[in-house]
Amino acid sequence: MITEYREYLKPKKVYIPLTDIDSKIANVHVEEGDKILVGQIVAEKFNGKIKTPILSTVSGTVVGFIDKVDRYGKTVDHIIIENDLLDETVELLSFKDKFAVAQDRNFVHNVTTYSDNISTAQVRRVLKRLGIQKITVDGLHTDIIFNATIKHIVINAIFPNEPFISQDCEELISNAEAFADGISLLGIGSDAESMTVIVDKYMPAEVLESLGKAIVDKNIELVSVNVKKIKGWDYKVIQKLVNHKLSNNLLDDGVLYTSIHAALMVHNAIRQGIPVTNRHVAITGDALKVNAVYNVRVGTLFSELVEDLEGYQEIDKMNLNVGSFLTGIQLNTDDFVITQSVDAVNVSEYREIEEDVCIKCGDCNDICPAGILPQNIMDAELRSVNSRIVDLDTHLCVECGLCTYACPSKINVLEWVRRAKRRVG
Amino acid sequence: MEFITKKPPIVRNSQRTYKRSMNLHFALIIIAIAAVVLKAFTSVPEFLAGEATYTALDQSFKVFLMLAVGAFTSVVIELFYSLSEGSTKKFDSYKGFVDPINTGLIIALLLPTVTPIYVLVLAVVVGVYAGKLVFGGYGYYIFNPALIGVLFANISFSAQLGVGDTPLKLLKRALNGETFNITNMTELFIGNYDALAIGTTSVILLAIIFVYLLVTRVIDIRISGTFLLTVLIMSFGIGFINFYMAGNMTGVINYVLINLVTGFTLFAAVFLISEPVSSPTSRETKMIYAVVVAVLMMLVRILGNETEGIVFAILFGNMITPFINRTVKRSDKKSFLKTSLILLFSVLFITISIGFILQAKLIGIYTFIGGIL
Repeated sequence: MITEYREYLKPKKVYIPLTDIDSKIANVHVEEGDKILVGQIVAEKFNGKIKTPILSTVSGTVVGFIDKVDRYGKTVDHIIIENDLLDETVELLSFKDKFAVAQDRNFVHNVTTYSDNISTAQVRRVLKRLGIQKITVDGLHTDIIFNATIKHIVINAIFPNEPFISQDCEELISNAEAFADGISLLGIGSDAESMTVIVDKYMPAEVLESLGKAIVDKNIELVSVNVKKIKGWDYKVIQKLVNHKLSNNLLDDGVLYTSIHAALMVHNAIRQGIPVTNRHVAITGDALKVNAVYNVRVGTLFSELVEDLEGYQEIDKMNLNVGSFLTGIQLNTDDFVITQSVDAVNVSEYREIEEDVCIKCGDCNDICPAGILPQNIMDAELRSVNSRIVDLDTHLCVECGLCTYACPSKINVLEWVRRAKRRVG
Repeated sequence: MEFITKKPPIVRNSQRTYKRSMNLHFALIIIAIAAVVLKAFTSVPEFLAGEATYTALDQSFKVFLMLAVGAFTSVVIELFYSLSEGSTKKFDSYKGFVDPINTGLIIALLLPTVTPIYVLVLAVVVGVYAGKLVFGGYGYYIFNPALIGVLFANISFSAQLGVGDTPLKLLKRALNGETFNITNMTELFIGNYDALAIGTTSVILLAIIFVYLLVTRVIDIRISGTFLLTVLIMSFGIGFINFYMAGNMTGVINYVLINLVTGFTLFAAVFLISEPVSSPTSRETKMIYAVVVAVLMMLVRILGNETEGIVFAILFGNMITPFINRTVKRSDKKSFLKTSLILLFSVLFITISIGFILQAKLIGIYTFIGGIL
């Protein structure tokens, strides 16, 4: 159970991964011994033609480079920066000046009102310069890329592990204006037709009220779903928007789907010129002595956070899950780095339940939001029948993990479907 | 201290395979107890009543013996099989016994009171060994093992399993023109009459258990519900064509009721047809399967020699399950509507055809054509 809110903003060293799951080539701009500032570009990573800058999140000296496991479980190069705790920032492009002018002319408005005199190109330029691209990676969430035409913006205000761990509601209330502004900025940046925020039906009334007040005249729709029943609601909401079967990457359908923290980061970047230096991470699980929501400097080692949380319980076998429980990744070490895209880490005791045989009840077939038949795909994969796997539209699987969740025999159905997908390419 | 990279199961979803078999087990035991109690009050059939020593209480004890022997034999066979495989770890807890006992109980419940014990033992041996264990045990068999045992007993020992006039037999004769009246409908609902099987009589109890198993998701409404609905539509249609045209409306109601509440219909809906391992897996295929079984059952009941067609029907349904599974590739709203409509029309068509065949109108036309050629 989460009992505390903590901050960990002054690590001695930060480690910044040079590549990620999509961008596999990096071009380093600094050398050992260089002095660097917050927001300075230390490297650029490439995913095909898309170039994303990697920013330093602290000011200090580059100490060296090291191989480490990143949050996806791959070993990649990390840059090590020693923190001088000064937080000197490079001058960044932002639109706070314009905002100040607008406020001066309107003496009536003391409350923060943001000017809409911001163009699509300006939003894109800032987001590109600050490297705000990969904020949420679980499930259906997409990157924030404006290469293709985007018709719909869908923002998820629900925590990825929702029925198990809930969203930080205090943060939602206090930053409601900023969230709403971030969403409308994303809308400006992508020229979207519609903007939708998905909220939980069972959120406290104050949260819904403050969010509702903030988005009221911004042409943003609020959709409430019942997350008590795990049923792939985000898939259904998005399918209603685009009105056809969804492809594997929502960007191909013209949908930009991201979490509400991304909206906050966009707001901070454009209105105040702050790069993504901090991240809210929920660290939970019964293997830790204290569970907390952290405001943590991006680049901090997770093992340092564990030390800050008074260490582990005395348990032999543990399970470390990064991200959502349904689609998250299990790591074999706690020596990884918190990046922009880490929103939840769970360390708990490993409890194995023996897999029963598949009784062909069809629960996975019923729950699959894409409408394909995971049990039949698993059967075909067990018998290695390629033509049958192709026949069953296996490519439509979005790897949401609901089949594994629904299985009464506790079989990891998703893994079988993934294997089938890999088999037929 | 180490980190394990295997994905842990999410235990919040409380559905479990063993819980489902446990619920089924519980339901079967209730039905078994009810059968024992009911037989203590049922009148002894005429051909047995000649022996002066055979009372209703003896009959009740016989039922108890059958149930116990059925369950015991099934467990012993599975135990021996596990020993021959070299591991009896499965039988460490009661969980391992649940499934063998279920199969044994179902076989015993599907045989009549007059069954000799050796026939029952043979039926269980064939059902559990040839129907289940040769395929690899629970979760892998392709035919419902209990039905294989029952079919074996019914075909090989039909002389030993003969029973008197059951409501279905009376019905069949009524369709052929004899007068037909069920005197006591209450007895029919409680289950206080001689039937083809000991466990299938108590309709009220079966209905309660049907709801219980639906709520605990042991059985699937899309199989059992479609099955019952199809039987209802077909029996109403056939009854309507045959009785109503003769001006006999009560006959229609009787026909529907007896088709629904006697025989194995409700027992099959609760315990046999919705057995997950040997039935199809997706929404549409489940409905197709249920309709195929229901139509076949009605065909055998009306046109075949047997009065009870469900055993053949379900085994045939199991047989074509891989084929049905192959016909449906996706399950979405469109294919669901399409399947439902096609099924509804085919059921109506078959109902009307059978109805007229029974009235010998179509048969007359066929012979006429044959005469010309």
